[in-house]
Amino acid sequence: MPTFRTASEEETIALGAKLAQGWPPGAAVLLIGELGAGKTTLAKGIVKGLGAGEPEDVSSPTFTLIHEYGRARKVYHVDLYRLDRASEASRLGLEELFDRNSVVLIEWGEKFPELLPAVRYEIRIRTTEGDQREITVTSVNI
Amino acid sequence: MRILGIESSCDETAAAVVEDGVSILSSVVASQLATHARYGGVVPELASREHLRAIVPVVRLALAEAKSSYSDLSAIAATIGPGLVGSLLVGLTFAKSLSFARGIPLIGVNHIEGHIHAAILDAELEFPAVALIVSGGHTHLFEVNPGFSYQLMGKTRDDAAGEAFDKVAKLLGFGYPGGPVIDQLAPYGNPRAVKFTLAKMKGNTLDFSFSGLKTAVLRWTEARDLGGEIQTRKDLLAAQAQPTVEEWLRVTPRATLDVLASFQRTVIEELLRRAVAAADACGARALIISGGVACNSGLRAATEELHLPYPVYFPSKTLSTDNAAMIAAAAFPKLKRGEFTELNVAASANLTLA
Repeated sequence: MPTFRTASEEETIALGAKLAQGWPPGAAVLLIGELGAGKTTLAKGIVKGLGAGEPEDVSSPTFTLIHEYGRARKVYHVDLYRLDRASEASRLGLEELFDRNSVVLIEWGEKFPELLPAVRYEIRIRTTEGDQREITVTSVNI
Repeated sequence: MRILGIESSCDETAAAVVEDGVSILSSVVASQLATHARYGGVVPELASREHLRAIVPVVRLALAEAKSSYSDLSAIAATIGPGLVGSLLVGLTFAKSLSFARGIPLIGVNHIEGHIHAAILDAELEFPAVALIVSGGHTHLFEVNPGFSYQLMGKTRDDAAGEAFDKVAKLLGFGYPGGPVIDQLAPYGNPRAVKFTLAKMKGNTLDFSFSGLKTAVLRWTEARDLGGEIQTRKDLLAAQAQPTVEEWLRVTPRATLDVLASFQRTVIEELLRRAVAAADACGARALIISGGVACNSGLRAATEELHLPYPVYFPSKTLSTDNAAMIAAAAFPKLKRGEFTELNVAASANLTLA
């Protein structure tokens, strides 16, 4: 289980860009961590690493639920924070996103495990101290 | 000249009829309908299927309340983005079909431009103006030039301002969304009690960042043993969907009221500092503040206290949140210029205004 440590927002963005290099086109990636852990910050790096946008283009999709980045190669950035029931989340059409051969990043996806693809990456982000983060990447195949 | 506006970019299915860009003959928002029975008992909350159930009755009601028929309409305006594609498609496709079937021209409107027009319905706006759009999904600063052309001056790099309100409310046990609760309780706390240190922005100084502030409130909460207090609020919320201010005050100690007041003051200062700097930078002759957070009474009061040398326009509270009257109003200048939209226009999740 690869574990990484970053000491600043910039390092977290750089790590995101590096991690994204090895992913297949249709990868589903769960970003797991408490409020303020840096899920959206890591997403900035991933979107950049996949060539779908600049870090400053990536903002939190909490209210809007899904952000879409890139033209030729798209990245979807989903946030299920404000949803309480799986029935609400299922109405978003996540299955369709998973079928599009695009990387799909999901924040707060662990709330609804039944909606997630069996094969996915799980990235856990934890604050160790101040701006320092511990980031663990797991490849899941249920 | 009457325009039928249709909005379905996020949670709300809405339709409105607006005359000459200024008088709202009707404005229907599905979730505000008195009887849900009208469209089958479900409050539209998300995505396309819910919009599909609501769109026909909502448009019908908007026309009926406006005592208008299709033949009274000069144009049909619909939101084309930004938003959820599945949601946008429902309103836009409905508008296109109506336009095609009835031979009424279509005007595609950017949702954010709608928010700008919500604030200036019958105002004689002087240009250049600066528009601050603050909601759960957006925090943007635009320069507004004659003919309503826009230039982006700043935006949030992480959380939208409204989102920060909602998340802080939730982490303290006030439920989600919780922006209005914080606004109601903030006057009972000391806005200077807690000092939040904010990271200095690199790059564009007119950009916003609210993620750090949200995390600071989280750390403040973690540093104290608030579990019991938060649980009593969650219990209150479970027993009663919309507690009154008095009920909230009974379960909210002074220190928490202070943190709410300090948080709200900090957000307002961050918003206004940049809005004023943006207005100074382009020699603005008006400031527009719109979007859901424009409902915040603390923001309105703080703006007034600044005694700015140019008029500041806020929308009425009902037009601050998503509605279709603002879409019809934003379409009016386009109608006057004969700027119509082809029926093959696509919904665009990431549509930008500038």
